[in-house]
Amino acid sequence: MDTKTDLLGNPLTADDVELLDLYRRLKALSARADLPPVTTANVKQAMVMLWNACNDLALLHEEPGCD
Amino acid sequence: MPAPTSPYWNPKTETLPKEQLRALQLAKLQRLVERAWHTSPFHRRLYEKAGVRPEQIRTLDDIRRLPFMTREEWMDNQAQKPLFGDLITRPESDAIRYHLTSGTSGRQPLRVLDSRKDWSWIADMWCYGFWGFGIRPDDKVFFAFSYGSFIGFWGAHYCCEKMGCLTLASGNMTTEQRVKQIVEMGVTVVCATPTYALRMGQTAEKMGIDLKKDGKVRRVVVSGEPAGSIPAVKKMIEDMWGGKCGDTAGMTEIGTIMIFECDHQPGGPHIIEDHFIEEVLDPDTGEPVPYGERGERVVTSFGRGFIPLVRYRTKDLVCKVPHTRCTCGRTGDVYEGGILGRVDDMKLIRGTNVYPRAVEAVVREHAEVEEFQIVIQRVDNVQDEISVKVELKPDQQDCWPRLQAQLGKDLADAHEGLRFNVEQAKTGELPRFELKAKRLQDLRPKY
Repeated sequence: MDTKTDLLGNPLTADDVELLDLYRRLKALSARADLPPVTTANVKQAMVMLWNACNDLALLHEEPGCD
Repeated sequence: MPAPTSPYWNPKTETLPKEQLRALQLAKLQRLVERAWHTSPFHRRLYEKAGVRPEQIRTLDDIRRLPFMTREEWMDNQAQKPLFGDLITRPESDAIRYHLTSGTSGRQPLRVLDSRKDWSWIADMWCYGFWGFGIRPDDKVFFAFSYGSFIGFWGAHYCCEKMGCLTLASGNMTTEQRVKQIVEMGVTVVCATPTYALRMGQTAEKMGIDLKKDGKVRRVVVSGEPAGSIPAVKKMIEDMWGGKCGDTAGMTEIGTIMIFECDHQPGGPHIIEDHFIEEVLDPDTGEPVPYGERGERVVTSFGRGFIPLVRYRTKDLVCKVPHTRCTCGRTGDVYEGGILGRVDDMKLIRGTNVYPRAVEAVVREHAEVEEFQIVIQRVDNVQDEISVKVELKPDQQDCWPRLQAQLGKDLADAHEGLRFNVEQAKTGELPRFELKAKRLQDLRPKY
């Protein structure tokens, strides 16, 4: 995946990069099966909120699949 | 939160130049069709039957290669493969929400599922609308809504929590209790169907409460009925509540709203075009109609992952005009007059087309009317007669002979001279509604 531009081909801003990084880290945590319920459930909640910001800003368009 | 001064929930995409908006829609459409092909057997069959593959979607115009999706096909699919058909892209166990269509048309309701991500997106679409209509985190938002299996304002409730508003649910309250709490809590935003916003206003009057003086409501957000975009209905609501009335429209099949009125109120709601493609087509030929002409809404949604919605025929009647109709800066086009009705709710009376919404627009011009009902009957097995039963406000009983004549004239003028029988109903005789109003009774024999 090209992480230097958004869906429109515009260069990512520093804020965009940080949002995408946060989303991807939360997505990776959401996909893990070895974490306690308290972690998994709350991380998934946070992950979908970050997904919204990234999706609305046209930084990505994907189904996280681990929500 | 956006900067408090931003009029847009999402300044980046709400103001995108049209060309870039189209490019964004294409990027999303390609991903959506690819996903539908691989994860929804229902869609795969549709596409294979139409001889189209995901890689053939190269331009936005290629959307027309894709087959339509209809409610009937969806219902059949659910019936053949209960409970949800093979339309869904994920196991039922991945869902966190279950909702049903309202079933107002008397058919089998559609069942829908949403994932955690879908539900969050659903709330986000309402945020576009609420923020755009001037609602802010310091607002107190009251939902006059039953919180049942009908999706209604559920997403709007979560939107307000997301925005940071004080969010008041009133699922189990009577109308009187709702009015009381709205005043007592200093509620600033009320959400209801247009019919129920009027009913709460009428109830407040009977309780001796002047909502304009005693309340603090500055916005009334309506949804669920075409009446939300009828100017006379909005004026009645604004006169009762003292706040600006704004329309939104959505559908259970999408899970959320796809259009909302911005604070500038240009005469209709904006389409959220970075999340939806809204085509307006001739319902008979399936061909696009130009700006300014009425046609059927056909929607493609990019948000709900559980249920891909691609070229879904809504049967909603709309008239799209360019975004330049509004000066707010959004580049999403506008549906002039909102949802104008249903393609299939037109009634043919002695050769004249009658739409319930058009009748309501005339009736609501008369502030003396508290409630009304349209009744269509066949007399002597030959002649179709249309009557409008009118219930007057308690303090307006003396106006009847004049109002009867005026309404009859106004209705005829709006319908190529068609004669309407205008009859007075007794106080409290006509039904009242909380959700979608059913004011039309077609008693003609069904063949």
